[in-house]
Amino acid sequence: MSEKQHDIISDEFNEDSSFEFQREDDSASEHIAAPKYSYWGSVFRRFFSNKIAIIMLVIALTLVLFAFIQPMFSGYDPMRTPNINNKSMHYLRPFTTKGFIFGTDDKGNSLFDALWSGTRNSLIVALGATFITETIGIIIGMFWGYSKKMDVIMLEVYNVLSNIPTMLIAMILVYALGGGIPQLIFALCVTTWVGTAYFIRVQVMIIRDREYNLASRCLGTPTPKIILNNILPYLISVIITSVSRDIPLFISTEVALSFMGVGLSQDKASLGRMVQTYAAYMTTASYLFWIPVVTSAILSVSLYIVGQALADASDPRTHMI
Amino acid sequence: MANNDREVLVKVKNVDITFFNGKRPFKAVKNANFEIYKGETFGLVGESGSGKTTIGRAIIRLNQISGGEIWYKDLRIDGKLSKKDRQYVVRNIQMIFQDPAASLNERATIDYCISEGLYNFHLYKDEEERVRKVDEALNSVGLLPEHKSRYPHEFSGGQRQRVGIARAMIMEPELIIADEPISALDVSIRAQVLNLMNKFKEERGLSYMFIAHDLSVVRYFADRIAVIHNGNIVEIAPSVELFRNPLHPYTHSLLQAVPIPDPQIEKNKTIQQYVETEAEQNYDKAELVEILPEHFVLMTENEREGYERKAAALK
Repeated sequence: MSEKQHDIISDEFNEDSSFEFQREDDSASEHIAAPKYSYWGSVFRRFFSNKIAIIMLVIALTLVLFAFIQPMFSGYDPMRTPNINNKSMHYLRPFTTKGFIFGTDDKGNSLFDALWSGTRNSLIVALGATFITETIGIIIGMFWGYSKKMDVIMLEVYNVLSNIPTMLIAMILVYALGGGIPQLIFALCVTTWVGTAYFIRVQVMIIRDREYNLASRCLGTPTPKIILNNILPYLISVIITSVSRDIPLFISTEVALSFMGVGLSQDKASLGRMVQTYAAYMTTASYLFWIPVVTSAILSVSLYIVGQALADASDPRTHMI
Repeated sequence: MANNDREVLVKVKNVDITFFNGKRPFKAVKNANFEIYKGETFGLVGESGSGKTTIGRAIIRLNQISGGEIWYKDLRIDGKLSKKDRQYVVRNIQMIFQDPAASLNERATIDYCISEGLYNFHLYKDEEERVRKVDEALNSVGLLPEHKSRYPHEFSGGQRQRVGIARAMIMEPELIIADEPISALDVSIRAQVLNLMNKFKEERGLSYMFIAHDLSVVRYFADRIAVIHNGNIVEIAPSVELFRNPLHPYTHSLLQAVPIPDPQIEKNKTIQQYVETEAEQNYDKAELVEILPEHFVLMTENEREGYERKAAALK
């Protein structure tokens, strides 16, 4: 309403002093009453509203913490076998002897200590391999998806690398390089990154030509900045999905490699090596076999479910409800 | 040409734009010729898929052209440019997008969305000046500084489009390419956005290239209108002239499609079906001819006589 109209109307009402003219405030209609939105706040609210996810998170955290803390106190070393000549200490059943919660193995070593030491090494390999695979995969996948020139070259690289069986190349590399933890991580990462990169490439291609990216180009935003600010935030959810798939995958790959005898070397405990050595006692002392198998399964499943719940929670489409 | 006294901002000269579907080429725009003068609103109308947006995006360098030239003032802006020239073009030509929901980064705050251009060219001395500029830009489009920490999905369609306008305006451009800026908006807020665009035009002497398919809006908003059909510009004229004396049969049928808010007239209106002209069948032989002052029509040599007769009758 213009000033003039205000005056005319207010003149008419001037005689009646019980009325007062109210000016309209345009800015009031622009006010947003909804509480402030915060992305990570909503992610955590969403995640912690999922009861199964919380239970699995507690299980996974307990296992991970135990695996990293317990070996510091036990100082377990598979090469040290103080009870090897004391036959009465061999094959103690679980929960029967004080100090040996999970009993002892064929050499009289505590299975409890061996288990956590093995879990720790398996976790280091899985987490290390996941970290390297994802970092290389994401960085290369981002540029691969964005640049059409790079796509031509990278597709050929992908066709070659993805056709080499991961298991085969890991076995050959561990044979050639030796069975240390860094060597195993390298052997696991050397071809798997290309799969992650391909996955990210497809996701980038889906959102590459959306209008808001064109708008950024119109504003003169350089490509690396578009990738970092416009595309990466949209991929958080798929990246978490990919990570939560990779960790259990690497745990089981490590187990499988050690089971075949080409994983970590003899002087390092690992879940896979335990499963391999104790498989012989399936009938006579089955707890030796089942405890590491079940631990590996619980670890993989809980990490996977936590990852999936986090991936769901980090998708903003689930925040609006 | 009658407009020699007016400064030409953008000159589009014999522009072809070709897309490739695999190996098969598809010409989206054929031999486009027009000029945008400083301070005017140049409307580009046509049906869906006629190449309107493609031309707009070619001017802002999002689409590459396969022939012809595009000039911005004295600078040829098609093809590869040096970094300095590229920045010059970005700062002076900006775009408002069709869908305000799709053209804002959902994961960035309004503060970042609006400052993006400032960051890219470092158009501020210190943080304080950047904040001041963003606040001013928000104010000028009727939004509040408190919106800066919000995300685009928290806004209504009209508010989002105003964010899009603020983002373009903060660069202080000379030309804005508005690609159907109101077609995704609710009817009740279309006027709000158009009035805002007009306000900027008056205050800052902006020029617009207004791409639309809604003729009633273009009539209200544009000074000159070009009609495009299947990638060919068939007619260019000042908007009053175009609506009064449409010469090309396609323009004629397009204008007839505008509903008239009178049931009597609307009922008795006879719609003329558009029949392909000779010019369109041999578009490589046809060219834009100034048949009346400032009124251009696409025609072949054979058709010329007929158009001249029509034009003479109008005089």
